[in-house]
Amino acid sequence: MVKVDNYEVPEGLYYSNDFEWIKIEGDKVRMGITDYAQKQLREVVYAELPEAGAELKQNEPYGTLESVKAVSDLVAAISGTVEEVNAEVQSKPEILNEDPYEKGWLVVLKPASLQAELANLMDFDKAVEWHKNQGK
Amino acid sequence: MAQEPRKMKETMMARRIIVIGANAAGVEAASAARKKDRTAEIALISQEKNAGYSRCGLPFVIGGQIPSFKDLTVYSPAYFQMLKLKLNTETKVTAIDTKEKVVTAVDKVGSTESLQYDSLVIATGADAFMPPIKGREKQGILSLRNLEDGEKILQAVQNGAKSAVIMGAGLIGLETGVALIERGLKVTVVEMLPQILPAMLDADMAKMIQEHLQEKGMCILTGKCVEEFLGGDKVKAIMAGGEKIEADLFISAFGVRANTKLAVESGISLGETRAIKTNGRMETAVKDVYAVGDCAEAPNIITHQPVCAQLGTIAVRQGKVAGTNAGGGYALFPGILASAVTRLFDIEAGVTGLTEAATQRARIEVVTGAISSKTKADYYPNALPIKVKLVVEKESQRIIGAQIVGGEEVTQRINALSFAIQKGMTVRELAKADTAYAPPLNETWDPMVLAAEMVLMKLR
Repeated sequence: MVKVDNYEVPEGLYYSNDFEWIKIEGDKVRMGITDYAQKQLREVVYAELPEAGAELKQNEPYGTLESVKAVSDLVAAISGTVEEVNAEVQSKPEILNEDPYEKGWLVVLKPASLQAELANLMDFDKAVEWHKNQGK
Repeated sequence: MAQEPRKMKETMMARRIIVIGANAAGVEAASAARKKDRTAEIALISQEKNAGYSRCGLPFVIGGQIPSFKDLTVYSPAYFQMLKLKLNTETKVTAIDTKEKVVTAVDKVGSTESLQYDSLVIATGADAFMPPIKGREKQGILSLRNLEDGEKILQAVQNGAKSAVIMGAGLIGLETGVALIERGLKVTVVEMLPQILPAMLDADMAKMIQEHLQEKGMCILTGKCVEEFLGGDKVKAIMAGGEKIEADLFISAFGVRANTKLAVESGISLGETRAIKTNGRMETAVKDVYAVGDCAEAPNIITHQPVCAQLGTIAVRQGKVAGTNAGGGYALFPGILASAVTRLFDIEAGVTGLTEAATQRARIEVVTGAISSKTKADYYPNALPIKVKLVVEKESQRIIGAQIVGGEEVTQRINALSFAIQKGMTVRELAKADTAYAPPLNETWDPMVLAAEMVLMKLR
């Protein structure tokens, strides 16, 4: 884990330009939002997530996060079928602010074409650079 | 039934919302609109290079408390991306056609674009005002309105300016003056009216601040007009009250004026304050066009007369209301109390509601009470002085204004009194308020409550 400015960037994850991370767990992929994203949104009050079985497409919205001042689409970092949804995040969205990389995961996917799509994501080193360029 | 397909198509089409201006009011409006309408196409158009930054923080970068102007960014590019707000900077809106609902904009390379809107929010802000003073066309008169202005002032300081003349003793003038003294400059402030902070405080309260500023080395000349700028191409001195004052740096802080040029040219009515006239939903006289922030006027909560408060707090509240309405929702702006606070060296000042002077102009009869106290128990070390002044309307006995000057703990008392005024609290109710106390934090009787007692005695 490194900190860029005030933002945590853990190693071993892949990152998208739309502020999401994925973690490859065998043949499944866990997905969530970055520390940077939750800090931009501030206290998340409402998380609208897809249901199990939903088909997600890379770079397309699959849900929304709403905070007191902002609302943002969740944009899928990769394509796949939703296998698990974090129900705890829906009942206690503050988890997203407290622990975006662990307890605050959003969905687990069965990826559709992981290897091909990984090329569109950033690895740890690139993500650190990307965070440096975000400014505030 | 023949029109049915067209209607279907129209309702399917995403709402187009354009916001002119991308600072406090504009970004707030765009964000609120997005919260109401997840699919709308929302665009912000700003003439400035920088968007979504805090103007109010500018003096504190000059003073060195904030390391850089970059730190004043409130909304990062990522914020605009996450909310799907299209930000166009260095782009000037040259015309609004309110009949065809089209905005014409020219970007920095000079290409012109016509943009359709369903709802338009005008948040064009205000411009620094320069009175018609002889020699005002000379170079070297700076103001502090936007980020570039701030950079110019800081640059001048870093280039070795040793002295500054500030014209105008309002909030911006004094905050900038303090910042320059903190940078080691010799500062003279010239104010036309007989007191400093004339729009904010009554003379009795302003005097305490003036004395503090003078102790800290600020030279303050009240009751003096700037008569002329002297020098060749570049200003070298001013004439004020018949006296010549030389300096390295000249800052005009005469106040700001609502930027209404675009609105006027588009046939959008101004109100009696010469700012854009609005209703409770922040709509202008033209359908689907809203105006917010420093360019708009709205009623004062107490007098019900329109005012143009030009405060960041008002700007964001109005922005939220206009954005909610522009996005298809419903919100009302409750009106303005103009609560404001500042810190100048070691003294804080705050106001909410009407000053005594403002009640006289509005022909409202009042009773006032002012109490000097301490910010901690009198026996507790480092207790600082604090003075609370209440302005109470005679007939209803409601609190309609408050001012506080003190060493600390001013802001939250101003907020408490703002709530009291907004809720129509009487001075009798305030005198019974259940306030908190501990020796390191407050006096047993809060000065707000004592000031209320004083007013009650005068009302007897």
